Amino acid sequence: MIITRRELFGLAAGGALLRAQDSGQRPVFRVKVDMVVLAFTVTDNRNHYINGLKPSDFKIYEDGILQKLNTFAEGGKPPVGVLQDGRVQPLVEGKTEGAPGLDRPDAFVGTNVFILFDTSNFMYHGFVYAEDAIADFVRGLDRADSVAVYTFSRNLSRAANLTRDHNDAISGLRKSVAGDDTALYNGLLLTLRDAAKVPGRKVVIVFSNGPDNASMVAPDDVRAVAEDEGISIYTISTNEVNKDQISSSVFKRMAQRTGGKAYWARTWQKQVEAFEDIREDLGNSYTVTYYPAPNPNEGFRKIAVELVNDPGRKYRVHTRPGYRPGRTL
Amino acid sequence: MKAVAVSAVLFVRILSGYQNPEQIRQMEASGETEEARAALLREVQSRPSDVEALTAYAEFLDRYADPSSRQAYATLLARLEQSADLARGAVVSRRIAALDLLAGDRAAVTRDLETYRNLSGRTLELASSSTAENWPTAPIPGPLRSFARMAAIPGDTTPAEILPALARNVVTNGYQASRGGEELEQTEYLKLVHRYLSQARELEQLAGDKKTIEIPSCEASNAADLLRILGFRMRGGCGSDVVLETVNERRAFVATDSGFPINELEQALRTNRPFTYDYRPTAVPVLFGPAYWLGTKEKEKNLDIAGFVESLISDPSTCRLYLGFSKLDRETADSLRKTGSFTRLRAYAHVLDFFGGMFEVRGGKAVVPGGQRSAGAWADLVGASPDQGGAFFDRLLAKDDGWLASLYDALARIRGPVRDYLVEPAHMKRFYSAIRGRVTSPGPARPVFRSNADMMLLTTRLRLDADGKPHVPGSLDVWKSLFANHPQGKYDVKLSKAANSWKDPDDVLEALFALCRKTVENEPLKIFMALTDLDRNRPKPLAASTVDRLARSFRAYGSQYPIFSESRDLSDASILQFLDTADAIAKIGPADLRADAAGTFQSLIGLWQIFVRQQTLPGNQADVVFSGLSTSFARIRNDVDLFDTGRAGVKLLLGAIPPGQSTAGTSEPQEHFIDLLAGASASAGLEARDQLVQELMRILEAQRIISLDTLFQLADHLESLSRGEKLNTALVNRLSGRISEIQLPRAALSDTEKNAISVGYWTEKHIEGERKLNLRAAIEKAGNDTAKLKEVRGLMAPLLRDTLLAYNYAYYAPPGSQVLYTNPVFVRSHDFIGLQGSNRTWRPTEMVGSGWPTSAGGRLMGSLAALPYTLAEAEQNFLIPAQTQALIWGDLVPQMILSAKIPRWWKVTPSQLHWVGLHLRYGRGLLAEAAFDPVLRGEVLEALGQLAAPVRTKDVEQLLELGDAQNAVERVTPSELFLLAREVTTRHRDETSPVGSEIQRLAQDSPQEVNYEAISRAFGTPKPTLANSYEPELLNLRTFPTLMGYSSRIMAESWESNTLYWAALADELALAPAELNVRIPQWTQQLVEHIFASHLEDWPAVLKSLRLVGDDVRSKSRAARVTDLKTAAFLDFPNR
Repeated sequence: MIITRRELFGLAAGGALLRAQDSGQRPVFRVKVDMVVLAFTVTDNRNHYINGLKPSDFKIYEDGILQKLNTFAEGGKPPVGVLQDGRVQPLVEGKTEGAPGLDRPDAFVGTNVFILFDTSNFMYHGFVYAEDAIADFVRGLDRADSVAVYTFSRNLSRAANLTRDHNDAISGLRKSVAGDDTALYNGLLLTLRDAAKVPGRKVVIVFSNGPDNASMVAPDDVRAVAEDEGISIYTISTNEVNKDQISSSVFKRMAQRTGGKAYWARTWQKQVEAFEDIREDLGNSYTVTYYPAPNPNEGFRKIAVELVNDPGRKYRVHTRPGYRPGRTL
Repeated sequence: MKAVAVSAVLFVRILSGYQNPEQIRQMEASGETEEARAALLREVQSRPSDVEALTAYAEFLDRYADPSSRQAYATLLARLEQSADLARGAVVSRRIAALDLLAGDRAAVTRDLETYRNLSGRTLELASSSTAENWPTAPIPGPLRSFARMAAIPGDTTPAEILPALARNVVTNGYQASRGGEELEQTEYLKLVHRYLSQARELEQLAGDKKTIEIPSCEASNAADLLRILGFRMRGGCGSDVVLETVNERRAFVATDSGFPINELEQALRTNRPFTYDYRPTAVPVLFGPAYWLGTKEKEKNLDIAGFVESLISDPSTCRLYLGFSKLDRETADSLRKTGSFTRLRAYAHVLDFFGGMFEVRGGKAVVPGGQRSAGAWADLVGASPDQGGAFFDRLLAKDDGWLASLYDALARIRGPVRDYLVEPAHMKRFYSAIRGRVTSPGPARPVFRSNADMMLLTTRLRLDADGKPHVPGSLDVWKSLFANHPQGKYDVKLSKAANSWKDPDDVLEALFALCRKTVENEPLKIFMALTDLDRNRPKPLAASTVDRLARSFRAYGSQYPIFSESRDLSDASILQFLDTADAIAKIGPADLRADAAGTFQSLIGLWQIFVRQQTLPGNQADVVFSGLSTSFARIRNDVDLFDTGRAGVKLLLGAIPPGQSTAGTSEPQEHFIDLLAGASASAGLEARDQLVQELMRILEAQRIISLDTLFQLADHLESLSRGEKLNTALVNRLSGRISEIQLPRAALSDTEKNAISVGYWTEKHIEGERKLNLRAAIEKAGNDTAKLKEVRGLMAPLLRDTLLAYNYAYYAPPGSQVLYTNPVFVRSHDFIGLQGSNRTWRPTEMVGSGWPTSAGGRLMGSLAALPYTLAEAEQNFLIPAQTQALIWGDLVPQMILSAKIPRWWKVTPSQLHWVGLHLRYGRGLLAEAAFDPVLRGEVLEALGQLAAPVRTKDVEQLLELGDAQNAVERVTPSELFLLAREVTTRHRDETSPVGSEIQRLAQDSPQEVNYEAISRAFGTPKPTLANSYEPELLNLRTFPTLMGYSSRIMAESWESNTLYWAALADELALAPAELNVRIPQWTQQLVEHIFASHLEDWPAVLKSLRLVGDDVRSKSRAARVTDLKTAAFLDFPNR
């Protein structure tokens, strides 16, 4: 994630994310303007998540340039600071007066989950089952995760703003109303714009049956925004793959390029399984932050995550392929 | 920071000494309202017993609608009573009474009027607060908000409004044709309403006599009953594991969609706490009582009042009759009901619904357009005398399937000399005969929308010449010839024959009326209206030959004609030159060159329009520049010509703008353009202006637009290369770098995939050409060869087109501009040609490709004629409705955005802003005074009746009679308040009201600023469809209904309240006029997002949202002002 809202954050000299102040004072939580938040999962050949890895187990590259990590977190656990020598130390909540976005000092704990629920006419049948599946998903989220529920048909509606109170989110979900055209990519763009304003790790989960008949923006333009903002997109489509090839192709590409996943789940049971898989993904992911090392490339920067101790290349890292710096408008 | 600075100045002034009334007025006139307020306050504080100081302060606050004016008047009154100044005390007490009445404080009003009586010896009466006689009611089960959700009615709808809203929704959305149109079947919408009512009745039964659903605990027996009704079941045993999940999809859908608190129920079950839910029914008034609607048979039996709603919505014709009756005031409705049988009226319900809104019975007589003079003619046409009001309208409804009723409606909506002309008995009969024709069916009320749109436009926009005859553009011969020998075929065989014998403007008018009944495109009327509108503001009407050419070219170039209305100084020759140029461009062979030539020419003309409208380009230069641009583009043969002509056009345009209009510190064209587009501003508006500059630049950056400076410098450099100078690598690299940033449209699929599955797939030839452009290689290849270097210059022509086009896009960019920020090739994707086989170059702008993932996003196609509207249309669905159920109102919202973007307020003066504010406040004051002054009430209602429908005028009258001025004001739109104040102040002087006196003083002191034309220009709205012009103006029309072919668009154009309201708000909050340029688009966005409309004519929802946003802005601003004053006080006296 590239944070370019300079005016919103207290600037830290030297770009340190966290800095413990002198003894007797609580450390101040600071964010530099161009910090990158990168989330990824590590799986083995059987697609099992590999947990318990440490910062020293990874090397992160941008365009082949090694990056120095600032923080490291696994699943919903609190992040730790990564020191110069590679050791880690816990972060302490700090006072962040006048720094919107950091009024929650625990902003980097857990994931900010934006659920985008299709309430258009296409979703009319199965609407309530979909609500049940989403409600179950929200109930099962880690306590540290924040969740927002947005719905869309021709227009977007913020049914529940981002909150740690998962019950509030479910309440908002249950108040959603069905009907009208499907402007999926318009809705997704607006959700990404909201998500981009929040610090920390962010994912958008799109629950839709795929066909879009009203959007003004193209899927790949929206995907580019997600890439640049470092927001992973997970899609759950209630359509079977062969029913709507265009949407299937779009969903696959979108998920792949942003570090998310695409699911096709026509039945309620499949939807529940898809949500369960996403929750697993979130709970078993690693999140690192870093300030990009000097790089003349102002275009697309390719990200690579390498495992230091995997000589047999048994493990696979799943993350977004890269981003374009400084394009947030 | 600025606020603190202002406040600091304010405190310095406070310390500096007394300001006399003239100085106060000067401060107001220069926009220093806050300073004036502080000075007056200081006077009051230093001389608390001084009547003049108290008066000046209280009246000042009153003039700016400051809520503390009430207290200031009370202080003044106390002082006047002490000094036994009874006469002035009486005036003040009356004003206090009006303010209390507007605040809805009846008890205070009673005391105020008692004080008034004591001081003046005269009595003012406020009617009893008892409500008018109500209709019998019928119950709706369950919470009203749940029913409203299911019936697609706004949640804040009052019980009295529920059934008309429901009837309307059933009429428009409740039924659809089936079996080849022979039968009607319920839509999913109506099925859901029925399902909801069924579920609600089950829940009502569960709620029992207490009308409350009470589930004491998770184990309670009725918990399972409730869940069964709702369609849910418990997963997991009682306790923290309980989760509610769907078991019956249909029931569960209705439960959640109606907003039943499922989550609260789940929480209660999980925590084993009692769940309580109020389930009382709501009694909603039924017009004439339920018995009337349930029919004779049911009347004889026991009436099933409980099932009334189900019965009503089961019959669309009955719903339509209900809807029609709800548009009438009570006296009129009663007269009609008593005359016609239920069955007969139901048969003509469609006519009543569409054309009954202007029916009016007073004292038993029909109030007909033209009054007594035309009463005989109406009696002849209808077959019943207007003296028998009910019978007259009953016959009118039944006549000719609605043609006469539609004429009645059109004539009743207008006023002034045109109406007088049209209702003259002979004219009326003649034009009715034309509109009626021989075959009357299908009538104009049969389709989904009123199909008499053209007639309404004709009667509304017709003009009379000085001789009292209808204005016919050009000459009668032009129209005879057009009808007889139209190049694209005859409009109507009979009319074409008759045209040869036309001798009078009425002959043309009769033909136009006759064509209004045709369902096909009515081109002659469109031509007539467009050219009438063109003539409207011209010092000299268009010559007959010009009109003839314009009429014959209408099909090809008609959408461009509003351009000619931008400047009143445009000569006939220039207009004809434009047409010649359009012809010449249309003949350019290569499609790429044709598209680029059209794009560049139209972009430059678009910029000319902007500068003329902003009054940046002086009137005396407008014609010269327009003519110059048009002439030069008629000779394009290749890309080099195009680049050179485009560049010359830029030079011509910028060169004609006098120094002083721009604050740009450089002569570089890019900065110059951005500066001019942002708008010239006095120092007070620099902050607003800078904000607009930033917005423009962000859009140009997002679109990767190449600066004009770079293009022109490179062109110059190419010239120097031909003279043997060295290559400027840095310059070439700069341009090349920018070109490399141009991306191809990011389509989701490959070209092959798109071709395989899509019809009409478009190529990105223009963008691909730019991407492939390797300027450096081209330059190197050209060497010093002058001819080849010239060709290189031509390669930049497409880039020049994009830059000039981007200026237009950026200028009209709606708030948010998500498309422009997200799709980096949106501007470049503009398609000036259209799909293969079509020719859209001079057609109105259209939005294409939306909702089609393979198309790389939506884009615009056609000319730039409707660019502001189409950009707003493209952007509207990115706005986020504030209400869960609401959607953005297509057709209306683009016009509202356009009205907030096209007018600019850089040249508006504080006095003009104050003028509008004073009028709206005076209008409110008049309504309040009318509550206790029957004479004034008559005058006020007469003025209001010029714009409001009879039912609303009557509603306001009843509220005023009941002393409910607060609700009466709520029913009057800002544009009606403005007209009301204008009407009353022009009739007589009001010395007693400080607001009225100030209006008179301003009119006397600043006639140039506050004359009607200037105010209309400053605070009017553009009406491209209704008036064929983008020039902002106030037309003072009744709000139009939806019309066939236009949906809500003309209604939106006739809605003039927004800008007037915003202006009054800005005046109230002491904002500089220049700030309107930033605030109005923002406020309009909020307005649009807060509209919760339930149908396409729901302008009251717009009004409600307008006031909601205004109140929010007002309260935030006042809170900020208090904080600023505290801060300023602290800065001044930190140690106090």
